[in-house]
Amino acid sequence: MQEKDQYRTDARDAGNRLVAGHVSEDPFAAAFKATRMPMIVTDPNQPDNPIIFCNEAFRKLTGYSDDEVIGRNCRFLQGSDTDRETVSNIREAVAAGRDIAVDILNFRKDGSTFWNAVFISPVRDETGKIVYFFASQLDFTTVKSREADLAAARHEAEAEVAKHTANLRSAMEARTLLVHEVDHRVKNNLLTMASIVKMHSRVTRDDGRRQTLMSVLNRIEALSTVQRKLFTLDDVSKFDMSEFTRELVTDLVDATGRKDIRLSLDLSPLLVPAVKATPLSLIVNELVGDAVRQGLSDGGGDIHVVVRRLNGHFLIRIEDTSEPVEPDVENAELGRMLIEASALQLGAEIERKREGRKTIVDVVLLIGDQQENAH
Amino acid sequence: MKVMIVEDEMLLAMELESEVEMAGHQVTGVAMSSSQAKEQICTSRPDFAFVDIHLMDGPTGVDVGRQLAAAGIPYIFVSGNIKKIPEDFAGALGAIEKPYTMNGMKNALAYVSAIVQGDDSGSPPVSLVLAEDLSSRPRIA
Repeated sequence: MQEKDQYRTDARDAGNRLVAGHVSEDPFAAAFKATRMPMIVTDPNQPDNPIIFCNEAFRKLTGYSDDEVIGRNCRFLQGSDTDRETVSNIREAVAAGRDIAVDILNFRKDGSTFWNAVFISPVRDETGKIVYFFASQLDFTTVKSREADLAAARHEAEAEVAKHTANLRSAMEARTLLVHEVDHRVKNNLLTMASIVKMHSRVTRDDGRRQTLMSVLNRIEALSTVQRKLFTLDDVSKFDMSEFTRELVTDLVDATGRKDIRLSLDLSPLLVPAVKATPLSLIVNELVGDAVRQGLSDGGGDIHVVVRRLNGHFLIRIEDTSEPVEPDVENAELGRMLIEASALQLGAEIERKREGRKTIVDVVLLIGDQQENAH
Repeated sequence: MKVMIVEDEMLLAMELESEVEMAGHQVTGVAMSSSQAKEQICTSRPDFAFVDIHLMDGPTGVDVGRQLAAAGIPYIFVSGNIKKIPEDFAGALGAIEKPYTMNGMKNALAYVSAIVQGDDSGSPPVSLVLAEDLSSRPRIA
């Protein structure tokens, strides 16, 4: 206790010497005393580097009197919540004789806290020896709490955004699931419809009825092929007419088992809006069906199918070279109606030509880029 | 050949059964769930199988397929969503996408029955998607 008192006396003496070194009208000393910035001076040449001088602003900030401050190491301003790493940074800088500026949580005499932007700098004599440490404090608690408020507001906003994103994502997932579910059901229903018609055709003993049922089945299956080809492209709003045509015509010709029906294809990708897929496919189905029926006559025949762009138009051409056969009247009439209705819906032109034994049917569809993008 | 049909939609299964019989094959049975399928694989030893992916007990068709592959029985998937078939195709010869057409099924059946009987000279029909084709197809999420 006595020793401590002695230190304190020494510290005060050192402070007094420091002040005495300046005449009372020394503007620097006056400024130091009167400034609103809290400041202290410590003496590293005494044990534990005690404070030897503090100004009025410092006393006002911390709530301590001069007697309570002089002779003590600055660490009495620290408390339980003070960051240990910041403290050790200060200690290292002081030990190394370096300047340091840090933000530290300090405690007043009454136990309340304040954020202190402290700047500590060594003061050296002519020989370069450190004779004092000078420290200035700046209470930036309000800035810090505004920062905290801003951070809290930001976190709140981020949480809100995260919540909305999660909602949106789950809505998207639900939608994707629904699209898959609906697609699955449509596919299943088409196959069920086809199965019912096929079953009926199996049980009927009437050839005419069987033919009618097969004619219905043929059109249902054209729609089935459309459904299978929908949503297979990266752009789900588009439908590749050449892919559809390739599958439809190959399937049909393969199933005849006739080697004398020779098929040649000239197909390039032709993307049409998905809404046009059904009417266009129905037209192709009728024309290809006609061509294959012609080929089924005794001599077989050649079928040539072209799908490509032509001067901004879409061209689907079906050529067949075979002996004309007497068509089934009902089926031909149905086919004609389907083609007419579909062509009307699409604004497509259908042109039939006959060159010797060759029948050529052109389906020309004017699809400008604008229309192409329309849904 | 002896054909097993693994399909939970009974109407589709019955119709496929007729189709298979019309083509001159015999159907060993229709399984609606993976457990029925696994039982039939052991009891009736089919030469070939059609396997739907979604069965009564969930998307268990792939499991059934793997068991068929392990038993050395060739098979093809019949599914409305062939994009759900695993990358390795679970040992299947290929897949037919629903809703298949009568001709598509007929052509595929003729092709696989030739394969099962050791004749691989034919070319696969358009209705049959082979493993290597699937990997080059665009996938949707």
